[in-house]
This record gives sequence, C-alpha cells and structure tokens, in this order.
Amino acid sequence: MASAIDSQPLKLTAATAGFVLAAAITVLVNTALACTKDAYAPLKLFMKSISGHDWTTQGLFDLLLFVGLGFFFMRIRVAEKIDPNRLIRVLVGAVGIAALGLALWYAFF
Amino acid sequence: MAAVWVFVEALNARPENASRIRTAALVAAVCIAAAWICGGYWYLHFYPPEKALILKGPWPFAHNLFMETKEHLFFVTAILALLLPIATRENLYSNATARKLVLSIALLIAMTGLAVEGAGAIIDHGVKVALLDSESKGAR
Repeated sequence: MASAIDSQPLKLTAATAGFVLAAAITVLVNTALACTKDAYAPLKLFMKSISGHDWTTQGLFDLLLFVGLGFFFMRIRVAEKIDPNRLIRVLVGAVGIAALGLALWYAFF
Repeated sequence: MAAVWVFVEALNARPENASRIRTAALVAAVCIAAAWICGGYWYLHFYPPEKALILKGPWPFAHNLFMETKEHLFFVTAILALLLPIATRENLYSNATARKLVLSIALLIAMTGLAVEGAGAIIDHGVKVALLDSESKGAR
C-alpha cells in the first residue's frame, strides 16, 4: 500500500501548475490594484462605474484574471516547466507580500 | 474549517482518504463562494452606516486600517480556496510535492482566514466603541 512516508517528490500536472502560477500572479495584481485605486481616485470611480462598487469590480476582475490565466498557463504548459518546489515558494511568497503589503499600505497611506 | 480539515487529511494522505480530501477542498471552495456573495451583500448594503459611525468614533483605524485590509485580503483567501480543489485532484498519497502544495495552500487559507476574522472582530468593536462614545457624550 502506498503511504505518505514512502512517496517521492514528483511534478505537478499542467492544470495544477498553471493555476498555482495564476493564483500567485492574481494575488499580487489584487494587492497592486487595491493600492493603486486607493491612491488614484479616477481609477476607483471608473471601477465603481462598471458594477456599482469598486470592491465588486475588483472581485470580478480577480476571478476572471485567475481563471483566464489558469487556463492560459495550462494550455501553453509554461508553469509545468517551473520546478514545483519553486512554484510553491512563489505562491507562499506572493501571499506573504500581499498580506503584508496591504496592511502596511493602509497603515501608512 | 474545511481548509484545516484538508490540511489534517493531507498530512495522512492515503488512497483511502483521497476522495475525502477532494470533498473537503470542494466544501472550502463552496463556503468561500457563499461568504463572498453573502458577505459582499452585507458589505455593500449594510456596512456604509457602520463605516460612518466608526470614522466619527474614537477608533477610525477600525475602518481605515482593518476594514480596508480585510476587504482586499479576503480576495487572497478566496483565490486560494478556489485553487484548493484543483490542487487536490493530484494523487497526494503518491506525490510528495503535490502534498506539500496542498498543505501550503490549506495553511495559507487558514492563516489569512483567521486574519480576516480577527479584523472583523476589531471592526465590530470599532462600531461598539463609537456607539458607546456617542452615548456617553449624549449623557453628559
């Protein structure tokens, strides 16, 4: 019986790798967009005009970006070529930067 | 909670619990989608008066720092929760890298989720202290 202990490191499928890379990029873009719309009022107003609220527009944008990039990376199989451990580090790093970046931005600006 | 369930199951990944891991991941994704819709509805329709109260009260940072961070950090948790069912499609019991990935995603969901929840508690307290402050000013 295969167990967690005797398993060996393996590659991720094109779908998983693609969506992990898409998630890392989306998380960073989300942070950049939050800071940019906070600093540049016309962007916030433009986002508000699309769906009635800038938060709703940002959520829809993030969702579309994640799904779009995920399928794109899966199709061109680019994320598959990246070392999976590196991909995990990229995702964890992106989430860390996003969380810290948002907190620091709203604390000081 | 479902992300913690995935984390614990993935620590002991075996062929026997593979479908349970996938179910838990799906539960996490469905719950975050429900939180997105319900929380979003609440935020758009009922939060503005609370925001006005907080900003006039003694804890304006409850909105300026905690709500602003929370409402954007939520998207990070949401994207991770949508990624989880995709990652759990891998055979975690035979692929150590995939298991590491799922453990990382589940842990990140739990941590960012707790941060969002904690911020929510401070925002609630921001409303409470604003109301107490206006009450005490009215009593004087």
